[in-house]
Amino acid sequence: MLNLAPRNKLGLVIDSPLLAGSGAVGYGDAWPPGLRPEDFGAIITAPVSAAPRKGRPQPRLTEIPGGFLLDTGGHNPGFRRLAASQIRTWRRLPTPVILALAGGEPGDRAWMAAHLEPLEDVIAGVELSVSEDVNLGETAAFIAAVRRATPLPILARLPVTRATYLARTAIVAGADALIVGTPPPASYPASQTLIEAPLSGPAAFPFTLRALSLLAELDLDSPIIAAGGVYSLDDALLCLEMGASAVAIRGLVWRDPAAARRLAINIRPFMPEMEGVESDEG
Amino acid sequence: MIQVRAQIRDRELHGAVHILHLHAPDLARQLHPGQAVLIQTGWYVDPFLRRTFYPVAIDDAGFAIRLAPDADRGRAWLRMAPQGAEIDILGPVGRGYALPERTRRILCLGQGDAAWTLLPLVHAASAQGLGVALAMEASTKRQTIPPRDLPITVEYHVATLDGSAGRRGDLRPLLPDLLRWADAVMAAGSLDFYHVLARMIEDARMILPRDYAQALYQTDFLCGFGACQACAADVAGGRRRVCLRGPVFDLVDILR
Repeated sequence: MLNLAPRNKLGLVIDSPLLAGSGAVGYGDAWPPGLRPEDFGAIITAPVSAAPRKGRPQPRLTEIPGGFLLDTGGHNPGFRRLAASQIRTWRRLPTPVILALAGGEPGDRAWMAAHLEPLEDVIAGVELSVSEDVNLGETAAFIAAVRRATPLPILARLPVTRATYLARTAIVAGADALIVGTPPPASYPASQTLIEAPLSGPAAFPFTLRALSLLAELDLDSPIIAAGGVYSLDDALLCLEMGASAVAIRGLVWRDPAAARRLAINIRPFMPEMEGVESDEG
Repeated sequence: MIQVRAQIRDRELHGAVHILHLHAPDLARQLHPGQAVLIQTGWYVDPFLRRTFYPVAIDDAGFAIRLAPDADRGRAWLRMAPQGAEIDILGPVGRGYALPERTRRILCLGQGDAAWTLLPLVHAASAQGLGVALAMEASTKRQTIPPRDLPITVEYHVATLDGSAGRRGDLRPLLPDLLRWADAVMAAGSLDFYHVLARMIEDARMILPRDYAQALYQTDFLCGFGACQACAADVAGGRRRVCLRGPVFDLVDILR
């Protein structure tokens, strides 16, 4: 067992270093053939916003060399409706559920976090995505606001190109763990328009590795989760060797569920050990 | 949905068009006309996205896909893949055509390459003893379904823009009689085609009733199981995931 939030009194204990990354299995309700909740140490939901969002019309997807760009426009049913419709699903899941809170109006994420109290027995933590264009003060402010609103563990997802710049601020503001991270945004044509979205697919992996190596030099005393472009056991093990406590996958779940299942099985023996870890061996 | 390894068991060449017959009995047992399959092409992760196909034939041993010539790398890889090669497939995706109870006469209406996706339905309905009419419009004769691919009992109408097969132009002049004859309509074509069809149904039958016409919303999928939201489109009164609600919808819902 591994605790992804060792300084948080609630903790976030996982039994596999493989996480279902943001939206890989929707809100925990969309499962591909062959994969089960038990295959993952935790599940991160697709981001939810305070109010419903219709999202972007078609096209939303385009292929690029080595991956794809997907822009859903933040399509989601909104916090209240999602919580009402999914609480039974989350309660049934044998795996910790981390709710990704999407940005929007200032204070939206803190508002959602403040309304998580009835869900605290089914939600194990929250993911906060830090966007490319925020400064240190804004990052500190919104993470601290969420910290004040909920005791749940906070996982801060950082943009890979600014991870070292933002990491300490996120931790000081209250993040229990860091997710590295959001790949750089890119544009590519689709049906006579341009899709603009963070890079997804194996092409994102070098960015994840670079951010991991730079963060390792900072010697942060917080768990780091590698996310972005992990497509094989070798990729995942490299992330763990470079200091990640866990890895999150998304595109692999969508493209090749059987390969994701093999990764889930083969990575279990490589569960890292770290300070503050609860262990099966006691 | 299941994930299987399927073998290319046969390849038909019709000019530049390839029909690939895939051996995948487990998937074929679950596959219904109008449902999609997602095929992994290329080597390792390039191209990354699976290619979406709507099978043009389904039998106990597997199904067939049609590869019209285009510049896509993934489909080019499939055109070159040798007989006996194994390919990775996810499917079936979504909901296919459903023959309404008490239907005796169905009209299948197709446009261009999409019309080929109606073939499994034509065969299934004919095998059930239903009266089946297939009407398709295409640019040229090359795009049309050869009569030899149809059950002998099917009434077949063709219109081509260049007049190389059937009547010159589109299907509109034929539709009033066919729509009055049919208990149900199954369509595959573009959104413009569906708008025309809806108007013709209203003209022939006074209204466009729910449960009268079903139509394929042909789109490409990323995951196919409802997680990625890449396929969400404006159907059924909202922005909905086509992989869960479709890809076959009531025509009323496609036009809403």
